[in-house]
Amino acid sequence: MHSILAVDDSASMRQMVSFTLKSAGYNVVEAVDGQDAWEKAGGRSFDLVLTDQNMPRMDGISLTKKLRESPQFKQTPILILTTESSDQMKQAGRSAGATGWLVKPFDPNKLIEVIRKVIS
Amino acid sequence: MQTIDEPDNPAPQAISLMLAADLQDHLMTATNDLERLQRLIDDAYVVLIDGFQGAAHQLGAAIDEGKHDSPSLQQTLQTLYRAVTALQFQDMASQLIVHTNQRLRGCADQIARDAMGDDPDGEAVVEETPLKPNPVTQDEMDAGSVELF
Repeated sequence: MHSILAVDDSASMRQMVSFTLKSAGYNVVEAVDGQDAWEKAGGRSFDLVLTDQNMPRMDGISLTKKLRESPQFKQTPILILTTESSDQMKQAGRSAGATGWLVKPFDPNKLIEVIRKVIS
Repeated sequence: MQTIDEPDNPAPQAISLMLAADLQDHLMTATNDLERLQRLIDDAYVVLIDGFQGAAHQLGAAIDEGKHDSPSLQQTLQTLYRAVTALQFQDMASQLIVHTNQRLRGCADQIARDAMGDDPDGEAVVEETPLKPNPVTQDEMDAGSVELF
């Protein structure tokens, strides 16, 4: 079973993401912000990281940069799921090493389709 | 003939104390209303998520019984997926309200300081207005875009 690290500071968003991913058969580990995700990523590997951008302590782009510096996450798909939709922010995400940029609200069917595509 | 000399850049007129107090009142009323709106949205969300979780739990139990491929179960799953998209607006509405509230409070504080000056015991406290533009740009209930790099 593939494992996904889902990062969002909003409890309601974490619930929606977790429900969607679990319903598609994924194992989900939740983190409340980038710092929490970084700590949880330290002890294990994941098949994909799905992170919000605007979060306290560490945002999604900073988390992506840090994960990409770690050999364990060099090839892991990282998707940023955020309300931010400006080209400038997307470019920053891309430069940091993100695999894709998804604008909220997400459509569960589309999210699952994208995840299957990038994991395979 | 008498002419009136007008300076090219007239000095800005300070707004009267009465007008400043009036404006501040309006802004504070708006921020209080926004906070009330936030509470109403949060309360509605709690009720909706409770129903959602109940349905999701029943669905999970049916899947555990091996009914994953049943058409009615798939239909229920798709109904819940539509609810997932709609429920995300609670999070987006909250972000929008927080951002707008900070801006309004910042304006109210600034008006008060400009009209009345600093406090006798130090500089007046002015709520910091957000430097970044509002991150929530959605104006409809459609799902957002997907871009793979």
